[in-house]
Amino acid sequence: MIRMSLRQFRIQALVGAFLLVVAAIYLVRLGADIRAVRDTSQLPIQYGQTMLFLAAGFGLVPALIGAFWGAPLIARELETGTHRLVWNQSVPRRRWLAVKLMVLGLASMAVAGTLSALLTWAAVPVDQVAGDRFSAILFGARGVAPIGYAVFGFTFGAVTGLLVRRTQPAMAMVFLAVIAVQFAVPNLLRPHYLPAERVTVPMSADTINQARALGSITGGPVVGGVEIADSWVTDTSKLLTPDGRQLSDAAFNECFNNAPETGASGRFGDTAVCLGKLDLHVDLAYQPNGRFWPFQWIELALYLAFSALLAAAGLWRVAGVRAP
Amino acid sequence: METPLVLHAEQLTKRYGRRTALTDCDLRIPRGHVVGLVGPNGAGKSTLLQLACGLIAPTAGTLSVLGSRPAANAAHLARVGFVAQDTPVYASFSVADHLRMGAWLNPSWDPALAKRRIAEVGLDPAQKAGRLSGGQRAQLALAIAAAKRPELLIFDEPAAALDPLARMGFMRSLMEFVVELGASAVLSSHLLSDVEQVCNYLVVLCDSRIQVAGPVRDLLASHHRIAGDPARMAAGVEVIWAERGHALVRDGAAVRNGAAARDAEPVTLEELVLAYLSRAAGAGAAPRVSAAVAR
Repeated sequence: MIRMSLRQFRIQALVGAFLLVVAAIYLVRLGADIRAVRDTSQLPIQYGQTMLFLAAGFGLVPALIGAFWGAPLIARELETGTHRLVWNQSVPRRRWLAVKLMVLGLASMAVAGTLSALLTWAAVPVDQVAGDRFSAILFGARGVAPIGYAVFGFTFGAVTGLLVRRTQPAMAMVFLAVIAVQFAVPNLLRPHYLPAERVTVPMSADTINQARALGSITGGPVVGGVEIADSWVTDTSKLLTPDGRQLSDAAFNECFNNAPETGASGRFGDTAVCLGKLDLHVDLAYQPNGRFWPFQWIELALYLAFSALLAAAGLWRVAGVRAP
Repeated sequence: METPLVLHAEQLTKRYGRRTALTDCDLRIPRGHVVGLVGPNGAGKSTLLQLACGLIAPTAGTLSVLGSRPAANAAHLARVGFVAQDTPVYASFSVADHLRMGAWLNPSWDPALAKRRIAEVGLDPAQKAGRLSGGQRAQLALAIAAAKRPELLIFDEPAAALDPLARMGFMRSLMEFVVELGASAVLSSHLLSDVEQVCNYLVVLCDSRIQVAGPVRDLLASHHRIAGDPARMAAGVEVIWAERGHALVRDGAAVRNGAAARDAEPVTLEELVLAYLSRAAGAGAAPRVSAAVAR
C-alpha cells in the first residue's frame, strides 16, 4: 500500500520537490547575503520587509499543501470512481486511507520542516537584532510550528475531499479555510497559550510619540503599537483616565483636532502634548520573548492533535457507518 | 459441515434517503453457480452487488458473502473479486502499472495469470489506461479482479457500455476465468441475452424486490405455459402472468408429483423472466419493461 500511495503521489511529489528546491536555493542565498552585511544594526531596516513578505508567503504553504496534496487525495478517487477499483483489492479501506494519510502527511511535514529550518537559519542575524520573531506574523515562519500547519493543511484537505467528494470545490474550500485558520489562530488562540503578563503604561507625551498609531477609522481613544521590550504585546486597552475609565471621545477628539500649538516635534506633535497632560495610561497584556519556544511547541502540539482528530474522523467516515 | 453460501441475504433492505433501492430481499445461493441477476434499470441490481462487495452498508437486514460480512477484512476482500459498473481504472496508470498495483495490494496475486490474460486479449502493457477503448478497459478490470484468484467474482453490468463484439469477447473471457479459477460468479445485466448464455442460476429483481430465484434448470422445469382461462387453473398452480388466452404458471408440489397439467408447454427463460417482470411492473408498465429486458 505504501508503494501504491507513492506511485499515485508521483506527479504531485515532483512538482512539490521542484518548488521546494527553488525555495531552498533562494533561502540559502538569502542567508548568505544577510551574513555578508557588516553593520548588523542595519539588518532590520534592510531585511525587515523581506522577512514579513517571506512570512506571508510561508503562510500559503499549508494552504497549497491542503489544496493540491490533501483535497484530491480521496476526492479524485470518488469523482472518477476508482475507489470502486481500489477498495476491492485485498486492503481494507481504513488501512488504505491510513497509509495514504501517513505517507503524504510525512511528506508535508518534511517539506514544511525543511523550509522552516532554512528560513529560521537565514533569519537568525536579523531576528537577533530586531527581536521580533515572537510577533504574530513572524512566529508562524520560524521553528517547529510550520510543521504542524502543514500536517493540518494536508489532513484537513484530505478529509474535506472525502466529505465533499468533488476535487475542485474541495480544493477551493480547503485553500480558503486553511488561510482563514492561519489568520484566526495567532489573533484568537495564541495569546492565551500561557497566562499573559499584565502591565500599566503611563501615557506621557514621549510614550505616545513612540506608538505606531493614534485614533482609528471608527474614532475612539485608541493608541496602537505600544511596545514592551523583548515581548509580544497581545492586547492594548483604550486610553484610560486616572480613575480607570475610558477617555471620552470628546476629550480625545479635542486633543486630536484642536490641540493648543506648542511647536512640539515628535510623531504626533501637539496632540501628544495635549494628551500627555491628561495623565492617561493603558493596560497591556504581553507574552515575554522567553516564551517563544514553549509557544512553538504548544502550537505544534495543538495542530498535530487537531490533525489527528481529523484523521480519525476520516478513518471512521471512510469505513462507512454500518447499520445495526 | 455445510459449506457457506455464496450469497445469503435475510430481509436485506437498502434505502437512500427516502428512496428504497432494495426491499426485504431473501436469498440463499449455494456455491459453484454462475448467477445471472436480471431486471430493468433501477431495479436495485447495482445496490445488491455493491452491498455484496461491501462498498455500501445495508439499512436493515443481513447479508453474508462466503460466510462473512462483505469486505470484513483483508482476507475476505481477497476472496471476492469485483468489477464495477463502467469498469473504472486509473487513467494515468499504464496497463503494467495496474498489474503492479494488483501485485502490491493482493497477497494472493497471480502475476503469471495476469500477464498471460493481458497478452491474450492483446493489451499493450505500456499503454496508458486512460487511452484504452471501453472493451479493453473492461478486459483490464476483469484481469485485475481475476488475478487475485478470488472464490467469487462479482460483475456489475460489465458489458452494458460495450459494442456487441467487445461484449462477446468480454463474456468469453469472463467464463474462461470462472472455469480456470473454479470460482462462483454473479453478474448483473438489464439484458437477459447477456446472462442467459452463461448463467445456470437466475435471480430476477424488479421494483427493489426479488421476484424469483433459482437454478435455471429448476426454473424451466417448474414453469409452464397453459392455454385457457387462468381462473379455471388446477389447484396448486400459481399464475404468474396471463394475457391473450395464455397463462404462465408455476407448478406447485401437487402438480409436480401428479401428472403434468394438460396442454402444458415448456417456457423459454425469456418468457419466464418477462412474466415475472410484467407481474411486478403491473399491466400498464408491462410493454416498456418487456422491451427493455428482451432486447
